[in-house]
Amino acid sequence: MSAPAPTRPARDESRSRPRHSAWVRRRDRAGLAFVSPFLVAFGLFMIVPLGYAIYDSLFTSRIIGGTVFSGLSNYTQILTSGMFWSGVIRVVIFGAIQIPVMLAIAFFFATAFDLGVAKFGKAFRTIFFIPFAVPVVVSALMWGFLFEPSYGPFVHLASVFGFHNVDFLSNTLMLPSIITIAIWEWTGYNSIILYTALKSVPRDIVEAAILDDTPLWKIIVKVKLPLVRPAIVLLIFLNTIGALQLFVEPLILNNYSAGVITLNWTPVLYIYNTSINDAQYNLGAAMAVVLGLVIVAISITSLLFRRSKGEFS
Amino acid sequence: MAAISLRGLTKVYATGVRALDGLDLEVSDGEFVVLVGPSGCGKTTALRMVAGLERITSGTVSFGGRVVNDVSPRHRDVAMVFQNYALYPHLSVYQNIGFALENKKVEKAERDRQIRIAAETLGLGDLLGRKPAQLSGGQRQRVAMGRAIVRSPAVFLMDEPLSNLDAKLRVQMRSEVLRVHKSIGAATMYVTHDQVEAMTMGDRVAVLQGGVLQQYDTPRSLYDRPANVFVATFIGSPAMNLYEADLSTDGTAPTVVLGSQRLPLPPQVAARVAAYQGRKVIVGVRPEDLAVPVSGVSGSSGASSASGASRVSGASRVSGAPQAGASGVPQAGASGTPGLVADVSLVEVLGSEQHVYFWLDATPAASAPGAAAAAGESAQEGILTGSAPNGVARLDPGSGVRPGGRVTFAVNPARLYFFDPDTGRAISD
Amino acid sequence: MTASTLVPPDAAGARPAESRRQRRKREELEERDAVIPVELYGLKRGTVTVLTTCCVLFAIFTLVPIAWIIFNSTKTQANIFGTFGFWFARPFEFFHNFRMLFENVDDDGTYIDWFGNTALYAVLGGVGATALSAFAGYGFARFEFRGSKVLFYIIIGSLLVPIGAITLPLYLVYSKAHLINSIWGMILPSLVAPVGVYLMRTYIRLSVPRELVDAARIDGASEIRIFFRVALPLMVPGLMTVLLLSVVGVWNNYFLPLIIFSNNNLFPLTVGMGLWSQHATTSGDQNLYPLIVMGGLVTIAPLIILFLILQRYWRGGLLLGSIAN
Repeated sequence: MSAPAPTRPARDESRSRPRHSAWVRRRDRAGLAFVSPFLVAFGLFMIVPLGYAIYDSLFTSRIIGGTVFSGLSNYTQILTSGMFWSGVIRVVIFGAIQIPVMLAIAFFFATAFDLGVAKFGKAFRTIFFIPFAVPVVVSALMWGFLFEPSYGPFVHLASVFGFHNVDFLSNTLMLPSIITIAIWEWTGYNSIILYTALKSVPRDIVEAAILDDTPLWKIIVKVKLPLVRPAIVLLIFLNTIGALQLFVEPLILNNYSAGVITLNWTPVLYIYNTSINDAQYNLGAAMAVVLGLVIVAISITSLLFRRSKGEFS
Repeated sequence: MAAISLRGLTKVYATGVRALDGLDLEVSDGEFVVLVGPSGCGKTTALRMVAGLERITSGTVSFGGRVVNDVSPRHRDVAMVFQNYALYPHLSVYQNIGFALENKKVEKAERDRQIRIAAETLGLGDLLGRKPAQLSGGQRQRVAMGRAIVRSPAVFLMDEPLSNLDAKLRVQMRSEVLRVHKSIGAATMYVTHDQVEAMTMGDRVAVLQGGVLQQYDTPRSLYDRPANVFVATFIGSPAMNLYEADLSTDGTAPTVVLGSQRLPLPPQVAARVAAYQGRKVIVGVRPEDLAVPVSGVSGSSGASSASGASRVSGASRVSGAPQAGASGVPQAGASGTPGLVADVSLVEVLGSEQHVYFWLDATPAASAPGAAAAAGESAQEGILTGSAPNGVARLDPGSGVRPGGRVTFAVNPARLYFFDPDTGRAISD
Repeated sequence: MTASTLVPPDAAGARPAESRRQRRKREELEERDAVIPVELYGLKRGTVTVLTTCCVLFAIFTLVPIAWIIFNSTKTQANIFGTFGFWFARPFEFFHNFRMLFENVDDDGTYIDWFGNTALYAVLGGVGATALSAFAGYGFARFEFRGSKVLFYIIIGSLLVPIGAITLPLYLVYSKAHLINSIWGMILPSLVAPVGVYLMRTYIRLSVPRELVDAARIDGASEIRIFFRVALPLMVPGLMTVLLLSVVGVWNNYFLPLIIFSNNNLFPLTVGMGLWSQHATTSGDQNLYPLIVMGGLVTIAPLIILFLILQRYWRGGLLLGSIAN
């Protein structure tokens, strides 16, 4: 299976079949029928709210005068809003640090497991995956306790290493702390995906590399890594979308350290506060749309970046 | 000193599966040895142990007298062509071929030179920039061989490299493979399940089954003197017809009794099987050794056997059938020549020859002792019981036999094979 | 070689009857044989030790919060703050704390109610999402109707949309449809799992051969019949994986219930715990912190146990998500 022969020739039957055959049409309808329950739910609970959000974003509610159509004024307000964009920059920085670090760690362990170089691989993989079963709220709560400035165990630990009175939840350390939490939450999941991708590299290619006396680092970097590129791209994609929507951890950690987390600390927090606490649904909706476009832009760019880098490897 | 030497090579998997049992084999420098056998016979396992990719349970592998059991495959100076070619999908043909040279830290200019030479030899000169996905099966195969050429290995291993190619291409590539072998000049071990490849390509051929070596000989010897029923039926296509028979006497003449038919044996043949006189044996006759008088031509002497009898002429090197006239085929019915009467079930017309499936009144024997029950079953599964064929003959196209007809085959008793019914081993003198 | 994870567990049919343990041992050995022996990689001495140590360190890192929560669920509030985080302390309050979960604290609602809610949402939502994903995945995998490709891309594309853009307006839609504070407001949106559709489509393509479906069609079976009789049994491992991921997804969902529920009794665990956390700082309730810790423990325990039991389904299933890109 190293010769990449397609496992299923892409048969574009929809072109080659005569469209007028009644039997075929009945089958098509059956296919549609299978998909329709999901589509109905999808339409009702994704498309409709999304459409409503876009619609809503074109209005503004005034205390006097009710809700009026305001065109793109919400958008201009957001695009010039320093508060919104500072939140965006923060999550971009968050993602730019957290994702590569986490992926590097995940790849490190995935490779170790795949090569069988670490003993008890199965047990370790199970342990690493446990955080995936923990709701983000609970993990934020737990870590909040651990980081808590006055009595958290990590503060004690830091003083053991010579750092006294470390406030993990201060302005400066809050983001690194959240990065740590995110790494804790997601590394296991990412490493499992990378592990299974590595395992699907055909064995004989690696054996051929061994017979060619390829050093281990070269096998990993020049043989295995390029072949799991699709998985890595997928993970960067998914992780980016998740990172840009950072919400729960800062929300919970706010309870442990008043004042550090501002209303606009992350875009989704800002949207939440604007919509729920300030009851400015329209503005919030517009923000959500803008955020969505930002996410799309960044995700697509990250995909393209990966692809072009691949050409050179 | 043999280039490759296997002694008692055994592989038992952790699950208890015994893939290879005590293989003894030697390959001389520059020799092309084929390991052949059905799936699961252990041939690939043996090859991989020679390469160092499989842990050895017991026994030794030696290169030039030096035991290499504990030598890493990286340092054994072995090049291997895998069944699925194992090309690096993300690298170009140029980079694939040059990969090992990069590892050896060969200078760029020298590397380039060697890659181009190898590419030219294999006709890949125009494809150097392409990736494996853009190549056909045959081209990928040649890239895999290019990788091996460039290594100038001491040992060259090939694991069913032609199996994934279509039939026509396979035949063409056989000569390519031999050419590459000559240019490398190293001891070569070639694994295949195709007995035609084995017979046409190997200097010597090792037949394996169930992890055990059945016979290791030149193709000619495998054909003429198979060591047991497995080798006898494995080599040659269609497979040799095997029947249960008794050795007795017709008065004073030693005879082999097949069902209701009796074939007298000339003295030399009788002497060979003297030890089994009065006992049961398995007798084998190759489809190409059955002949039928051409209709309309009265049987003259055996000299004009080419026209006087329907036989099949052989193909290249040593194929499944020796040349006609080598040991003249007697006419059935001519004085003293034995014949076998059979009912014709089916005639397959291949153009250059005919495969005639017949039924004769004898019990077919299995290709392996103990599998007799299975053979019996399959005979009974014939759609038309009573005329389910239990034998096949290879005849010239003009033989004039028809399904449903009765035919008398001429049999040369010197070309009968005899095997012990319990062990399956050939009865030799 | 790699296809072994895709074969339904039952397909290893003709084997002598062996105990579960024997089978596991054999599978382990087969796995070891299926992998390139480590010594062929040419590792330096001590590499194995170094790497194993790294794994141990990261395992410790992973387990630290869990360990902390286990130890501190047995303590009183004073002790949580006062004593060493990673060992027990007197008095041993585990059972007391556990009992407190059954009480309505500060009128925030009862933990046990929240637990029941979460279980309800997760099971109904998860099973429903799996069913819809299975149907839709099958429709996309084995049918080619007009627009199926476009539709599929739209569905996958929806992953790009931020939760805020969907959930917040959902609240507004709900308020018009009287779905605020309704369990269906939570369950119905949970049925929409684009990831599930993607995974099921991939899995079905790999495990339900087109020829099998075509043969059944020629035999005159109705499409529904084919789905339930032919395809469904082959989809089981994929279904289990999607089920696991869906249940976990709904169980851990925070944003949706946060928005649509104002009635404490309908909260799932996530929102309830969040509320407690908020009140713990504002109010001075002596009982709240131990409750939060104990609550956290009880929240994660079922899922972790579920994971350990259903290990094989998240090992093999995620494989598909990565290769079929």
